[in-house]
Amino acid sequence: MELRVCNLTKNFGGFTAVNNLNIDMTNGVYGLLGVNGAGKTTFMRMLCTLLKPSSGTITCNNEDIFALGAEYRKILGYLPQDFGFYPEFTVEDYLMYIASIKGLRQAAAKKRVRELIAGVGLEKAARRKMKKLSGGMKRRAGIAQAMLNDPRILVLDEPTAGLDPNERIRFRNLISELAEDRLVLLSTHIVSDIEYIANEILLMKDGQVAHKGTADVLINAMDENVWKCHVDRNAVPYLMGKYKISNVKSDGNSAELRIISGNRPMPEAESVNANLEDLFLYYFGEKAGDDNA
Amino acid sequence: MMIMLRFEIKKIFSKRINKLMLMVLIAVTIVGSLLAIRDVKYYTDQGNKISGPAAARQLKMEKNRWQGYLTEDVIKQVVEENKEAKASSAMEDDALIKRQGIEDIREIINRGFAEPGEYDYYLCDNISPEKAAGLYEQRLVILNKDLGSGNADKAGFSQNEKEFLRDRYKDMNAPLYYEYMDGWKALLDSQYLPTLMIITIVIIGFLISGIFSDEFQFKADSIFFSSELGRNKAVTAKLKAGFITITAVYWGVMLLFSIIILAALGFGGAECMIQAGGNWNSIYNITYFQNWLFTMLGGYAAHLFILTLAMFISAKSRSTVIAITIPFALSCAPMFLGRVPMFTDIMSMFPDMLLRMCAFLEDLLVCEIFGKVFGLYTVLIPVYLLLSFVIAGVLYRNYRKAEVR
Repeated sequence: MELRVCNLTKNFGGFTAVNNLNIDMTNGVYGLLGVNGAGKTTFMRMLCTLLKPSSGTITCNNEDIFALGAEYRKILGYLPQDFGFYPEFTVEDYLMYIASIKGLRQAAAKKRVRELIAGVGLEKAARRKMKKLSGGMKRRAGIAQAMLNDPRILVLDEPTAGLDPNERIRFRNLISELAEDRLVLLSTHIVSDIEYIANEILLMKDGQVAHKGTADVLINAMDENVWKCHVDRNAVPYLMGKYKISNVKSDGNSAELRIISGNRPMPEAESVNANLEDLFLYYFGEKAGDDNA
Repeated sequence: MMIMLRFEIKKIFSKRINKLMLMVLIAVTIVGSLLAIRDVKYYTDQGNKISGPAAARQLKMEKNRWQGYLTEDVIKQVVEENKEAKASSAMEDDALIKRQGIEDIREIINRGFAEPGEYDYYLCDNISPEKAAGLYEQRLVILNKDLGSGNADKAGFSQNEKEFLRDRYKDMNAPLYYEYMDGWKALLDSQYLPTLMIITIVIIGFLISGIFSDEFQFKADSIFFSSELGRNKAVTAKLKAGFITITAVYWGVMLLFSIIILAALGFGGAECMIQAGGNWNSIYNITYFQNWLFTMLGGYAAHLFILTLAMFISAKSRSTVIAITIPFALSCAPMFLGRVPMFTDIMSMFPDMLLRMCAFLEDLLVCEIFGKVFGLYTVLIPVYLLLSFVIAGVLYRNYRKAEVR
């Protein structure tokens, strides 16, 4: 299974959401990281044939996915960011309906729905209406629908958004289990999700994949260090203006900071290993800082 | 495909508002049919008014004394009996009671000899039996007068159209067969049926307006269109669900309304020509049963067209609310616009005419296509049926290419 994205561009009026994007993907879990507006969702929607590119191509095993049409969608599973459903349907009805539009025959669909309901831990809620489910349960129903056709390509857009920590861990484990022998593209803001399960990380910025590689490769490629230091709380605003700060932990009148800087920011600062959050701030620092402001 | 279709229908009927609307429609149908039944009245010899099935039984007994062909002799007898009833009654109300059995035939004579655009309820009281016997010839005479008058010129009839109208009048099989037919008249010649059709189309509009737009409203569109059959068979299933809903609800309501009325007032008179009832001037030479089929088919064509258009708007605008307004706008607005003289002609081509056609069967509405003249409704029905399928085709092509932004 090979997905090849070649010079992919998508314009909305005067705005370019995806700009000349190139990437090759084979089996494995790909984590897509980027700030809001980086073009992640637009890219994923084009991968799912929901949007046509303004220019460029996406091929699956050397065939254009839009030309393949239903044949391509047959091997595709998609969990969108805004996961919509039919509120009056029960979980079972919902999955049976999605199974039908995914082309599963009734007997096979029934078996698969039973398996997936058990797989995502929704047995007790199988006959409950979708509108009555908690956020976590809805997401589980969402991943179940994406898996109905046992897809070779699984696209998950912000699958852990809005989940509590327990649900997120459960969900991550579930995705890890599902990831064998398929191509999983996972987009998230929560970098720890990607840290645990992604084989390769794609850092997306301004509609392009700015950097890609494993977490270690990307971290090693940083040409700045991460420093940990304790400072007076009153000094924090000044330091935030001067450095990229990936974490602030207050403790009485003092605060512990993680600072990303090429030089030791202060004599007492100690060098520590960088993690993915530091990496995220390093690459998207300016915007991330703006968002947090 | 069947499972997809079943779930599409389930989507429609699982919505609480749709369930409520369906219940309202059933209630309106029952109330409408009861009101139509109640409109059949009979006055006893003591002057007491009874209505509904009891009145129908009495009227049937009295009217069926005249069951058979309305030949010249029968018409003369009716005129004589009418005169006797009047002569033997001190007051008009007494005469009314005595002539309940001949009221239908009396009405035919009143209308048959009325000058174009006029009507005299007492005309039958003053006509001679010999003159009344010329009823059928008089029909064509009056038409010719009408066509030669300023009214016809105003309506803009061409020579072809005038000839067509005359031919249709000549084609009516005289003498007319007559029997008690108040059940069919209550069903087809009252305002209840057109009103029910308008209510039905508006309510079905609620049911089907979300079929296409709900995918976007519920944000279920991403999964729908990224599924294997989301851009072909699943779209067809939606269209089929729409057509099944329109067809099942429309025919269900119309059959319920018709059966309640006919069961209460009697099925008799189905073979009578509509001219023998309340449609003396109609150019449609059909029986009451054929009229029922014709009216129902016309209503169905209007429902299919207007509601398919509503589904198209739903798919295009991605808004259920906008789609819901379409049946209301198309079934009601032309009715009012048609009263403005400059819009009258064009509005007579609108699909709402098919919802109200049973009330306008007497109007001389024709249209000429490539030199051939047709009754308006015989053109509108196939045209709107055809247009429904054209819109469905465009809708299919459009929806399957939808993008999700």
